[in-house]
Amino acid sequence: MFDLTPLTEAVIVGNAPKAKELTQKALDAGVSPGTILQEGLIPGMAEVGRRFEEREYYVPELLIAARAMHAALDILRPLLTASDEVQPLGTVVIGTVRGDLHDIGKNLVSMMLEGAGFEVRDLGIDVSPEKFVDAAREGNCDIIAMSALLTTTMPSMKLTIDALKEAGLRDKVKVMIGGAPITQEYADQIGADGYGEDANQAVWVAKQLLGIAR
Amino acid sequence: MNDRERWLATMHGEPVDHIPDEEFGYWDDTFTIWHKQGLPREVKDNSIADRFFCFSRREVVPVNVGLSPRFRRRVLKEDERHRLIIDEEGVEAVIHKDGSSSIPHFVRFPLQTREDWKRLKRRLDPDDPRRYPVDWEWRVRQWKDRTYPLGIFVGSLFGWLRNWMGFEHIAVTFHDDPDWIHEMMEHITDLIIKTIQRALQDVQLDFAAFWEDMAFRNGPMISPKMFREFMVPRYKRITDELRRHGVDIVYVDCDGNITELVELWLEAGVNTMFPLEVRGGSDPALLRKRFGKAVKLLGGVDKTKLIEGKEAIRREIARLEPLVADGGYIPHVDHRVPPDVTYENYLYYLKVKRDAFGIPHPKCWEEQWAAAQQHLARAVA
Repeated sequence: MFDLTPLTEAVIVGNAPKAKELTQKALDAGVSPGTILQEGLIPGMAEVGRRFEEREYYVPELLIAARAMHAALDILRPLLTASDEVQPLGTVVIGTVRGDLHDIGKNLVSMMLEGAGFEVRDLGIDVSPEKFVDAAREGNCDIIAMSALLTTTMPSMKLTIDALKEAGLRDKVKVMIGGAPITQEYADQIGADGYGEDANQAVWVAKQLLGIAR
Repeated sequence: MNDRERWLATMHGEPVDHIPDEEFGYWDDTFTIWHKQGLPREVKDNSIADRFFCFSRREVVPVNVGLSPRFRRRVLKEDERHRLIIDEEGVEAVIHKDGSSSIPHFVRFPLQTREDWKRLKRRLDPDDPRRYPVDWEWRVRQWKDRTYPLGIFVGSLFGWLRNWMGFEHIAVTFHDDPDWIHEMMEHITDLIIKTIQRALQDVQLDFAAFWEDMAFRNGPMISPKMFREFMVPRYKRITDELRRHGVDIVYVDCDGNITELVELWLEAGVNTMFPLEVRGGSDPALLRKRFGKAVKLLGGVDKTKLIEGKEAIRREIARLEPLVADGGYIPHVDHRVPPDVTYENYLYYLKVKRDAFGIPHPKCWEEQWAAAQQHLARAVA
């Protein structure tokens, strides 16, 4: 049986060439792409998240780990799509809200969600409530995740929730929010379903919202 | 006491008649909104506002320790709502066309390779004569009998490189090519030390200021371990030089949660933290409790309390009273005042702050403004 532990380790330490090499080796040895993803890569990113939470890792370590995971995913993705072997945990439509152009926090959350096995559709920056509603209407959207950096752009989050209600979509999607000025209190106040304090917690919240927290 | 004596005594924890009356500033669109709420239209930028609200005077010498020359800011293209620009640091960024506040969306950075670094280094030449104004000697004479604190900006080790490289790129470069980061930070340190020599010899400066902005609300952008390896020894070289010339108040401008870095900054000779974003995770009371009087503090008034209303403002100032009494602390709003603070709440905040800390109220603002306008009209006539 092929040992996927070194692959997990390569992700944890952010060694992209090694992660790529070991992924290819695993495939050559007959390990299925789904198994490599579920038992090699995702546990690696979960450990990275844990270390981030424990302040052993900081953003640079998170970024190089994600880069290693992506190096492996580049090989696996076409095979996973063709095989239908693994379904994503859910689809998260993410964006920085209207009026806000900053995207570092949003990108970190996207990265960690992907690393945990979610499909992420990134709408980018300065996303209007209408665009979020359109994305929810198109389907294949379990969670809408919104980010804001400024107190002045926070109200766009409520406007988006109101727009979802008006479009009759509020009970079809979960809404989670985050960003520098956001608090749990604010999330409760505007009727968001969840609030993530950082990129790692956002993964946990997303899983909770879909009833798959582990 | 004059402004200089008061500022130095406050920062050194000595007795004062009252603390200095200082504020950080305002976003551009705060002025636009406040004009509709009663602020005179002539008050349209931070320097005019400082005079309008009669804050204590504090200045820095016009010495450029950074890019020289800076890039020429220009618009590359625009659509209905956004403008793509190249800024003064050579960064391509998307900004709002209507001037509303936001951190820009960065598109392209001028420093991606070692070749780029060679090119950029030409703008980091300590011998560039443009680093000092042509009337420097005249200014030095004017500063001899000044009554206000005068300091020097001493640059940035991480913040500049992050701006030039982009956050993601510099973050991974710490792992991929640490020698290059060392090389760049060393060059910047040498540049700063060499550039400030003339100012340190010519003027008895009162403070020095770094800028970094290297923290999120959950902590620093790089680990304390990296900070210690790459930055502490270099800060130390700069702060040792400053102290040799009697400059013992050295502050760093860093938004976000700086708690994990404070100990290292103190070790590196940076003893004052600014602006202490409370909602961003940096609470002045907690820092004082943890680091004692070794840490000096500027800022720390939670801006969201000014949004909330008068009761919240009173509570916030009351919260900070023991800290002000403790010394080594000048309270002010913990970043630029955002446009969702009403003008009325801001005036109320200034009143409560001045009452609480014995800061004399300036003349009625309207009267003062009318007098200034009359004076200007007479001068023009």
